Amino acid sequence: MVRVMVVDDHPIWRESVARELGERGVDVVATAADGAAAVRIAPAVRPDVVLMDLQLPELSGAEATARVREALPDTRVLVLSASAEQGDVMAAVRAGASGYLVKSAGLDELVDAITRTASGHAVFSPGLAGLVLGEYRRLENAGPDEPRLTPRETEVLRLVAKGLTARAIAERLVLSHRTVENHVQNSLRKLQLTNRVELTRYAIERGLDADD
Amino acid sequence: MTSVDGARRGGPARGHAHLVPLWRGLVVYRVVALVAAIVNLVRFGDGWARPTLGVLVVAAMVVWTAMSSLRYLHRGDARTAVVDLVVTSLATASTLLVETPARLAEGGPVITTVWSAGPVLALALALGWRGGLVGGVVTVGVLFAVRRAVDADLVFDTQLLLVAGLAVGLAADTMRRSGERLREATAREAATAERERLSRDIHDGVLQVLALVRRRGAELDGDAPAVELARLAGEQEAALRRLITSAPVPGPDGTVDLSSRLAGALPPRASLAVPAEPVLLPAAVVDELAAVLREGAANAAAHAGPDAGLWVLVEDAADEVTVSLRDDGVGIPAGRLDEAAAEGHLGVAGSMRGRVADLGGTITLHTGAGQGTEWEITVPRRGS
Repeated sequence: MVRVMVVDDHPIWRESVARELGERGVDVVATAADGAAAVRIAPAVRPDVVLMDLQLPELSGAEATARVREALPDTRVLVLSASAEQGDVMAAVRAGASGYLVKSAGLDELVDAITRTASGHAVFSPGLAGLVLGEYRRLENAGPDEPRLTPRETEVLRLVAKGLTARAIAERLVLSHRTVENHVQNSLRKLQLTNRVELTRYAIERGLDADD
Repeated sequence: MTSVDGARRGGPARGHAHLVPLWRGLVVYRVVALVAAIVNLVRFGDGWARPTLGVLVVAAMVVWTAMSSLRYLHRGDARTAVVDLVVTSLATASTLLVETPARLAEGGPVITTVWSAGPVLALALALGWRGGLVGGVVTVGVLFAVRRAVDADLVFDTQLLLVAGLAVGLAADTMRRSGERLREATAREAATAERERLSRDIHDGVLQVLALVRRRGAELDGDAPAVELARLAGEQEAALRRLITSAPVPGPDGTVDLSSRLAGALPPRASLAVPAEPVLLPAAVVDELAAVLREGAANAAAHAGPDAGLWVLVEDAADEVTVSLRDDGVGIPAGRLDEAAAEGHLGVAGSMRGRVADLGGTITLHTGAGQGTEWEITVPRRGS
């Protein structure tokens, strides 16, 4: 059974998602109402997946993601946000989140995303693919040491952004489903910053450090 | 007179608030100048041809100074300044009746003394440097008509009046402009703050509840009204989310963010994949692209069916911007577009192609029966 921690400052939402996930056989081991609490509680309950809102009091979702991932490298973070600023989503992804869903996603979609996240897959929406493509474009101009996408990864991400499913992409590019998944995952992994120093530099560079 | 007119007449002139310190200065000047005129009356009044008339004129100046000063302080309107110019000119001209021609010829002062400069400054404040110039010329004209001789005093007065009118007028223009700018900037800032506050409120409350309604309702299988409610809540949630995240981002030099413009132009069900940074293009280019995308989206809804998915991807490279539009509808059978063009129906494809060509860009269409349609539009960044 997948062990999940729900982090959201909106009490109705938090309780309702926790209950619904419980009914679907997901083990909700903890809930937290702010980023600092999430960082404090996570090591005690060691969840497989943290369901993380982005606009949180005390500590932003991106910062909490970085700290949780630092303390618990095996715990994955799935961002679930109502109206996140795109800069915040990108910051969370670079901090180590392995996927992003909007809150209007259906329960089936959410449970599926949690399951996939727990087994190490990236949860990619077209919107996230667009953000990731944009981020690599930005890095192209930032310097020679920044990560790059391979042409194949770019091709796959563009198709994800245009709404094709992994199966449709595999069909169109004559690849195996597995290879498509790998390309998507690699594109995300290369973006993720490996330590707090890099993260802080990224946040300051992007003007995201003044998070309240 | 309508009530609106009445309100406008009673209200302050445009930009009056920014000029209040200058109007106060003018009122102080007029009162001090009035004292000078009274002193003039006391010292030379005995020798006047018509002392009684002189006293009446100075009394009228006192009354007029009080009346007009109140209006200047509260409204600062041009009408009062023009009436002031007429009244002051008449008072100055009355010197011809009050004084003896002999003393005037000797260079005796006019009855209004320096008080006669008041309307020049008032016109400059109310109408800017042009008002100051006109007021100065009229006042100098009246002085010349009374004195009938160009002596050193008149030349000196002329210089003072024209310089004062122009300088005060320019100062008033500058203050009015910078005051307006300050007001606009403050209003913009207030609007932005209000928008951010609204976004936060919507995010914290309405959006969460709508998302919840959609989720819970959709689970009640077989309950048609609940499912319908859930669908409506979901639509509103998507529209609202887009609204609060699509604050138009104006860039430098008349550029606009393409992403936020498309967020407003496309139907809420469309998925929009964009970079985190604003995609800045000239406003006219953004307008055209939004129009092309709207056409494409409307076409997709008409042919692919209202339930077909719609995805838009915006990519920003250094020298060009690419926008892709895909639907998963029935697609267009090979050759159908050429057929239509041959029959003289330029239709949507023709119109989209024309607009993109006008932008110096390229547009390609990938489609086929059962494959949906996929447009890819690339426009160059000029000057880069």
